Amino acid sequence: MIETVTAAASAHRDGEGPKPLRPVRVAVAGLGRAGVAHAAVLSTIPGCDVVAVADPRGAARAAVRGMGFRARAFASVRKLLEREKPDAVFVCVAQHERARVAGAALEAGAAVLVERPMARTLEGAAELVRIAAAHQGPLACGHALAFQPVFAGAQRTVSEGVIGAVRQARSSMYLSRFFAPRRGRHRLDPAKVAGGVVAHFSSDLLLLLVRMMGEPREARATWNLLYGRVEDELHAMMTLANGVEVGFDTSWSVPGYPRSSTVIELEGEHGKLLVSDEALEIELEHPRMGLPAGATRVLESQLPQPARFDLGGEALYLQDASFLQWVTGGAQPPNDGATALVAHRVMDALYRSACADGITLRVRE
Amino acid sequence: MKRSYPAPRLVLSAESLAGEMRAPRERLLEIGGRFQEPEALAVALSKALDAGAEGVLAAPSPALRAALAELDRTVPLFAVVPALRANEWLDLDPGVDALLARARRRAGPVTRFRMGWTGFWRASAFRRGDFAARMPGVLEGEAAVLPRRGVAGVVLRAALTDLALAGDHRRFFDGYVKFVHARFRASAALETANLGTLLERLVEWGIAPDFVVGPVNPPGLRMKPTLQHTLLQMARCDVPVVAKDLRAGGLVSLEEGARFALANGAYGLAPDLADVDDVTTELRKLRA
Repeated sequence: MIETVTAAASAHRDGEGPKPLRPVRVAVAGLGRAGVAHAAVLSTIPGCDVVAVADPRGAARAAVRGMGFRARAFASVRKLLEREKPDAVFVCVAQHERARVAGAALEAGAAVLVERPMARTLEGAAELVRIAAAHQGPLACGHALAFQPVFAGAQRTVSEGVIGAVRQARSSMYLSRFFAPRRGRHRLDPAKVAGGVVAHFSSDLLLLLVRMMGEPREARATWNLLYGRVEDELHAMMTLANGVEVGFDTSWSVPGYPRSSTVIELEGEHGKLLVSDEALEIELEHPRMGLPAGATRVLESQLPQPARFDLGGEALYLQDASFLQWVTGGAQPPNDGATALVAHRVMDALYRSACADGITLRVRE
Repeated sequence: MKRSYPAPRLVLSAESLAGEMRAPRERLLEIGGRFQEPEALAVALSKALDAGAEGVLAAPSPALRAALAELDRTVPLFAVVPALRANEWLDLDPGVDALLARARRRAGPVTRFRMGWTGFWRASAFRRGDFAARMPGVLEGEAAVLPRRGVAGVVLRAALTDLALAGDHRRFFDGYVKFVHARFRASAALETANLGTLLERLVEWGIAPDFVVGPVNPPGLRMKPTLQHTLLQMARCDVPVVAKDLRAGGLVSLEEGARFALANGAYGLAPDLADVDDVTTELRKLRA
């Protein structure tokens, strides 16, 4: 990380990015917004062949063909798995279907990247991790924020102990999206989704916090259901095993955030770290691990951005390419199934606490 | 290759007003606040023209249309379509079907008829869900929100360009250029976040839009697939490139970015409102 921070400005931007280590055949299950984005990005990764897509909706299959993608289209994931036998499946079906579809793909011998949240329930997510372990199949969850260069850099900074043990943390993730009652497919039926803003959006931030500081021991949360039957805002305080408190605020109903905005502030024994979508700032009391005393600021635009295709940013490409690298023998990515399950467990604890009027609950029941 | 419509040498981009530019949030909010009133935006546009800009590159949002209506001069508009704010994209499925449905809901009877008519002529491909056959309907829907005068070009938003690029959809690009020329009698341009890849494909396919708008800057920020590859394709490809993201997220000055872009074969420049503090002075410098 120190190398990243100090050499960032001079780093060659065309550095080698992640890629599969051998040709790999992949499929995409579910052709909504996320599925199409994955199909598009995967088709630009060298060595990756998108061989099949699946969606029960004929119109969705036709739309993907209409975009120029020539992969075979199936109405059923089961048939896709039987006939195409892909090396990896990107599961982007509806939340209440994810555990079943991802489980079937793992049992068929494919590696699986399942969109966040992994399943509608914590039990479903845990079962997926169990199936992956039983079949020794790589399982990852779509938490693209962890691959955004500035947040990946911040995570490495903390892991390498640059600011020392964390004493206090605050975090937030905001987006201006819903300002009226949700209608149609945005209605978000609690029987079919894991939750609202946290499940759909800021579980990415939970995964980052878990990567940086480990699993909290306790959590308490309150929420606001402004425009439907799932939360639009959630405010939480989590306590780590060593007693450190971690603040967490999120909303998708706040003005002034046409693009999502994530901020993490950490106070450590040797200094402070602040990371946002725009920059990573480290302030140290004394020179440490190659960084000078005082403030060091690295803009997001200074960091190497090795994705070879940009569809709404670097992160999706880097996530998908890193997963395929793992599948073909490379290093495990930060969004592996076991880590994502911890983030899911934290989310579940926040929801349980909010349901119980904000009482403090243990994260592991 | 004969080119029907000249590409602009200098346009003022107002993409930051729609939250579409990747600039610091504080800067975007500042720009949004500064140009909240149509009069303020109208003054900036007028100053840009006086300083040598050949038009404005922006989505025809209500705010922009109100600003254009304030002026008693015609501001050539290179309209970025579909006209959606960054967060509005999140509510739509990718591709053109959701855009088509949205356009139909908003359209009056004349626009609906026109949208139906474009679909009728491509009925078979339209029914198969072909992106190329459905795009004209989306453009018809967008036409309803374009100003009556001064549309100098239609620029397809990067989100759609890059989706069709990922799908290697040659016919889509070919059909788009022909349709825009025939329907709007204006430049047919493409915005992209993958400039090097797009230029390479356009050469391979033998398709020449009137210009392409994409990031060009000395550090190579957002120049995909790589800085070197993009510069190579800019040298190889005849399609004029209008460079944006000149300041590379604030790493270099506007002048430095512009110098680099022009030295590496960019035909024109598209600095954004968020890139400039004094429109007149900074655009004059670029024009010189």
